[in-house]
Amino acid sequence: MPEIALSVRGLKAGYGEKVILKDVDLTVETGEIRVILGGSGCGKSTLLKCCIGLLRPMDGEIEMLGQRLDQLDGAERTALLTRIGVLFQYGALLGSITIGENVALPMREHTDLPESVINEMVRLKLAAVELTHAEHLLPSELSGGMRKRAALARALALDPELLFCDEPGAGLDPLTSAELDELLMRLRDRFGMAVVVVTHELLSIERISDKLIYLAEGVPIADGTLDDLKYSGEDEVRAFFARQAAGEMRGPQTALEALAAGG
Amino acid sequence: MKTSPKTSLRFELDGDPSAATLRLAGPVRRDVVAELNTLLERHAPGSGATLTLDLADVEAMDSAAVAAMVTAFRRARDAGGRLVTDPLSEQARRALATFRLGPDPQPKPAPPGLLESTGGTVIGGFQGFVDFLQLAADATFAIFDALRAPRRMRWGALAEQSIDIGSRALGIVGLITFLVGLTVAFQSAHQLRQFGAAIFVADLTAVSMVREMGPLMTAILVAGRSGSSIAAEIATMKVSEEVDALTVMGMEPTRYLAVPRLLAIIMMVPLLTVLADLLGCLGGFLVGVGYLDIAWNAFLNKMLEAIAPWDLISGLIKSVAFAYGIGLIGLFYGFRVRGGASEVGRTTTASVVASIFYIIVADCLFSVLFYIVL
Ligand SMILES: Nc1ncnc2c1ncn2[C@@H]1O[C@H](COP(=O)(O)OP(=O)(O)O)[C@@H](O)[C@H]1O
Ligand SMILES: [Mg+2]
Repeated sequence: MPEIALSVRGLKAGYGEKVILKDVDLTVETGEIRVILGGSGCGKSTLLKCCIGLLRPMDGEIEMLGQRLDQLDGAERTALLTRIGVLFQYGALLGSITIGENVALPMREHTDLPESVINEMVRLKLAAVELTHAEHLLPSELSGGMRKRAALARALALDPELLFCDEPGAGLDPLTSAELDELLMRLRDRFGMAVVVVTHELLSIERISDKLIYLAEGVPIADGTLDDLKYSGEDEVRAFFARQAAGEMRGPQTALEALAAGG
Repeated sequence: MKTSPKTSLRFELDGDPSAATLRLAGPVRRDVVAELNTLLERHAPGSGATLTLDLADVEAMDSAAVAAMVTAFRRARDAGGRLVTDPLSEQARRALATFRLGPDPQPKPAPPGLLESTGGTVIGGFQGFVDFLQLAADATFAIFDALRAPRRMRWGALAEQSIDIGSRALGIVGLITFLVGLTVAFQSAHQLRQFGAAIFVADLTAVSMVREMGPLMTAILVAGRSGSSIAAEIATMKVSEEVDALTVMGMEPTRYLAVPRLLAIIMMVPLLTVLADLLGCLGGFLVGVGYLDIAWNAFLNKMLEAIAPWDLISGLIKSVAFAYGIGLIGLFYGFRVRGGASEVGRTTTASVVASIFYIIVADCLFSVLFYIVL
């Protein structure tokens, strides 16, 4: 098993002409949970999209599990993709099939396991996210938080070595959120799974993060452990932990401030 | 310890069937699990028997291996036997401890029986019809409301929809009806020439285009182009909860979404029909002059004589009725959708089928009505 699960070097990326990410360097080791922080719209989802090959970087290179996805094609590309799992920000479950079938989909597609084992695996994964009773329901029959959990079960279908999660805690109650954190940590400790997770939940960050990276307008301004960031030299990063409201500190003046000053 | 010839599964089986021990070694991952499962099935402990899984030499296990063992465990328990793992390596212990055992498999909910599903279809169909009438009434009132208070009208949306439904369809409607006019004239030319009545091709083409083919072809094209896009757009908004958002913001979706689309389609389809009539007649004219060698002014005169004002008007009345139906059907199917992306596709198809069905039936009724009653 490679020591470095994900390595991003000098990444520059964006949409069309618009550059969103610049000079991003990021290393994630196996058995490490790496949290990506930053205000909304700063490019966290864009960074994940680059890593998993949905967005071609403008510059820089990305290596996952010792291989470069952009240099592979055909069977090798598929083989690498089966070793990673992705939890999309909005779940991205297929709407026409049940939750159980959604979770079974990658197993049916990429393994030759017998049906009985696949069904049992589906139940194990659904039990892990507390969704066993929803196996035969359609995604449209679930709440937002349940869909998120079902999507996590699907991301874990093939025991990924590297898991990307985009805001897994959003829309979940604190208890379920804590249980999902437990699950991620269990998988990290027992299987050495590496996790790259975008989240804003301070509680969750304190529980799970081994290392963090803070993006401000697409540029990493802090990279290190929780303590490193809490006592970072950057005001914005400190403010995030202090009040989670840096926006107020650097945001534009209010209408009152502008008008009372007479322009 | 044997190594399987097919896969790299290393295993050894000891003891008699009532108290067997299956020893596994090495990594047990999903590439060997299919075979492990076969082994476990073949040596499943019967009533009163025990199968011991010795996992002391297992170096790694994944969730597929855990699942195979859990399946075997359930199978053994249901048969009155026992399956235990003993002893365990540290890796095996961790893997088994990672996953919680879900409840026993629940049966899939059975699909409803024939009687129930037939009844459901009938009731659903009736309810659907009632809902359709409700929507038609709501939308019609909303249109009159909008016309009474033009300031609240969404003129921008109306213009946008009109461009989409009208201007963008000019090319295809013109081309198709031109070809239809050509074909009708050509087919009838052959027949009528046998009686020396070739000049009547002018009457036949003109009347059939203006009364029948123009409105009909235009409506079918608009149903395929715009009815489907209305249904798909509204359905997408519905499944992404945009329609709900409009409702709670106090914007009645029938008014906000339906009125511009319905008004646009009612205005544009008759205009497209006029174009269709003209180009259909042009097609006939070209056949008359080019193929039948009739003097162009004679043919043109004959065509103009053949068309009474009522022919034109009845065609346009029909086209308005078609347009209103296409719009309402698109809206109805759009608003009715529940579920996810696949439902959007299904409802769009259903709306086009329903619109075309409606157009043909309505056309039939109108034709009879206009000739017999009026
Ligand atoms: N498909 C897209 N096309 C163009 N711009 C996009 C697209 N997706 C996101 N963006 C822009 O990229 C920036 C970063 O977005 P994103 O990575 O989704 O932010 P977040 O950090 O909240 O996940 C935003 O300014 C957004 O407007
Ligand atoms: Mg995002």
